[in-house]
Amino acid sequence: MRVSGAILVNFRRYPNFRLGAETDGLIRDIPVPDELHLPLDGHVPVVARGQKVNAGAEIAEHPALQEGTLHAPSAGKVLQVTDTHISLKTDGETGQTPTIDRPDIAQDEDPLQVLRKLGITIGGLNGSEFLILNGLNPEPGISVCDQLLRDHLDTVERGFLLLQKFVSPSETILAVSQDNKVGLTGARTKHLNPFYPGSLAPVLVKNILGRENLQNVTVVGVLQLYAIGRVMETRQPLTETIMTIGRGNYRVKIGTPVRSILHHVEQSVNTGDRVILGGPFQGRAVYSLDQGVDKNTYGIFVVPQGSYPPVRDTNCLNCGECVLHCPARILPNMIGRCVEFNLFEKTPRYGISACFECGLCGYYCPVRRPLLQYIRLAKKELAVRNKQLTPQLDMT
Amino acid sequence: MANYILKPFISEPKLTVACPPYWHCNKTVTTIMRDFLLALIPAAVMASAQFGFAAARVMALAGAIAVLTEALCLKIMARDVSVDDYSALLTGLLFAFLLSPSAPWWLVTVGSSLSVLLGRVFFGGLGGSPLCAPLVAWAVCKISWPRAMDVDLSMLDSELVYPLGQLKYLGPEVVSHVNHINLLLGKQLGGLGSAQIIGIVLGGLYLILRKHIRPHIPLAFLAGMYITAWIHFLIDPTQYAGPIFHLLAGSAVYGAFFLATDYASSPVGHIPMILFGLIAGVLVIIIRAYSVHPDGVPFAILLANLLTPLLDRIRPKPFGGQKIDLLHP
Repeated sequence: MRVSGAILVNFRRYPNFRLGAETDGLIRDIPVPDELHLPLDGHVPVVARGQKVNAGAEIAEHPALQEGTLHAPSAGKVLQVTDTHISLKTDGETGQTPTIDRPDIAQDEDPLQVLRKLGITIGGLNGSEFLILNGLNPEPGISVCDQLLRDHLDTVERGFLLLQKFVSPSETILAVSQDNKVGLTGARTKHLNPFYPGSLAPVLVKNILGRENLQNVTVVGVLQLYAIGRVMETRQPLTETIMTIGRGNYRVKIGTPVRSILHHVEQSVNTGDRVILGGPFQGRAVYSLDQGVDKNTYGIFVVPQGSYPPVRDTNCLNCGECVLHCPARILPNMIGRCVEFNLFEKTPRYGISACFECGLCGYYCPVRRPLLQYIRLAKKELAVRNKQLTPQLDMT
Repeated sequence: MANYILKPFISEPKLTVACPPYWHCNKTVTTIMRDFLLALIPAAVMASAQFGFAAARVMALAGAIAVLTEALCLKIMARDVSVDDYSALLTGLLFAFLLSPSAPWWLVTVGSSLSVLLGRVFFGGLGGSPLCAPLVAWAVCKISWPRAMDVDLSMLDSELVYPLGQLKYLGPEVVSHVNHINLLLGKQLGGLGSAQIIGIVLGGLYLILRKHIRPHIPLAFLAGMYITAWIHFLIDPTQYAGPIFHLLAGSAVYGAFFLATDYASSPVGHIPMILFGLIAGVLVIIIRAYSVHPDGVPFAILLANLLTPLLDRIRPKPFGGQKIDLLHP
């Protein structure tokens, strides 16, 4: 195994690629802070400054038909509405008002839209031959998925039962790590070596079905299943996320500022540190401790200053490490060079469309070129250019 | 003024924003180059033990001149003087390993500065060289000052012999009695460090274990040499020496582990690396057998370097199997 070999030889600080983390086995609540900062990702606010909202009230909608609606996690007053977030002053009341009166979402005419209205992102949940339930933790250092499968299997199962109705697969496979003993009725359990990037959908499909083609396959993560199950159980909109911080897993209201979370878990942050929302390979670095977490945040990492060599815009060493480690078999080195000279139209020749942004190129680059960033920039530029070429017919 | 503005936020930690991934393998140019230097130590110690102060002098001078040249060039180009990453020192030492311990000071100076100038700086510094930098300088010196670069001629007072020279000028009969253990222990003339076979092998294995080089190129290189030499030997043992002799004589092992694996001038894919090593290895024996040069390793690697861009076009299909046209970039 490549990774364990690396650890044997490079016994200094070689981070583990193992998916999962040691946990203390509990999911604890982080109390609702005085102020919530709900990040907007293309959502359109439906509340105005100064307005009072109830817990569970809609505060922003998404124009795209598959993105979930945003709800107030707690009753309070809207402090601020900007392009990036909605700030809410909570009044301490977290008692939620049930927003669905139907007994069972599954009986509804259009259950997907009901789910969307309840805050679930429904993109990709359409009919497929194969349904793969991804029970692997998304990134190293994250243990949420294992924890949910162990402690809240009933909720996950509830989500799965509903999902089966939309996807109606001929075969369902639950992918879990080798040492995980759970199973779901109606799904074949597949035990996998829990190593990154094995948790990413393309690699997962390849490891299970043996093909590099995502057609007719729906991959749904356990976090998503849990969210659906939770919404059905509580009959209230989704306003929380489960995340790993260090050795513990926490239930956090969306919009909770990073500052409150770190304060609660007694993690100090110093100038120059990086605070990451998500995982160490694909997460986002926050610019301010006031930033709130969103529905998809599954972890918080603090990377102290000086832990790793800084990212620099230096010339390529031509060592080929990025190419040899790339699971998508593309040429990140050449893409990086094209992007530096704004030659975005050349990047498809080096396989940019096959990239699934695992971040291993940047992990291995000895001169710390921001390779994943270059690839993302090129993808974005190409998308913009394609959009300009094909006229947009409907803007929903 | 700035202080005044920042004051209200002083208690607030200022976070660093960065792009993912936030973890790193902690391998940097400095650590890689340091490991390469460590890998050269066994051979350097063996060379110093064998040739004494003369060998140490050549290595020290070449290393110092390379670092000075690099620093001067970077200064002139108004770039960051990044000689503390050891890469220029490594280039100088790699060049020194190819010289004879008796090399005159001017040859070491000119060669070492050329390896940095012609090999690296002209092509954009570390990582930009299309040819293995120490070999560029070696080739220039070899062609410009063939007498000074001649190992046999410059080491007439040594008891040791130059096995490849003997093979070239006296025929395989003479070298058929050469003790392979002696060759392995570096009891031969050749480059001062490159002929210290056992030290070079130790260093090369260290680099492979530390994953700074992959085994593809060295193994393919040695396999290419072995097979070609073996075929020649089968055809006519009275005219060609055996494969083991070829592997142990001269700078074959040094070339396989330290020169052919040069990052910038070697290909990056698995199959391209194997082909590259094979081609270089085959060329070594062809040059040794049919040209005027006793040791074909430097020229063979330089020739194979020219093929690198072509070999790099051999690529597996990206994930999903879409077709990519690398031939017309």
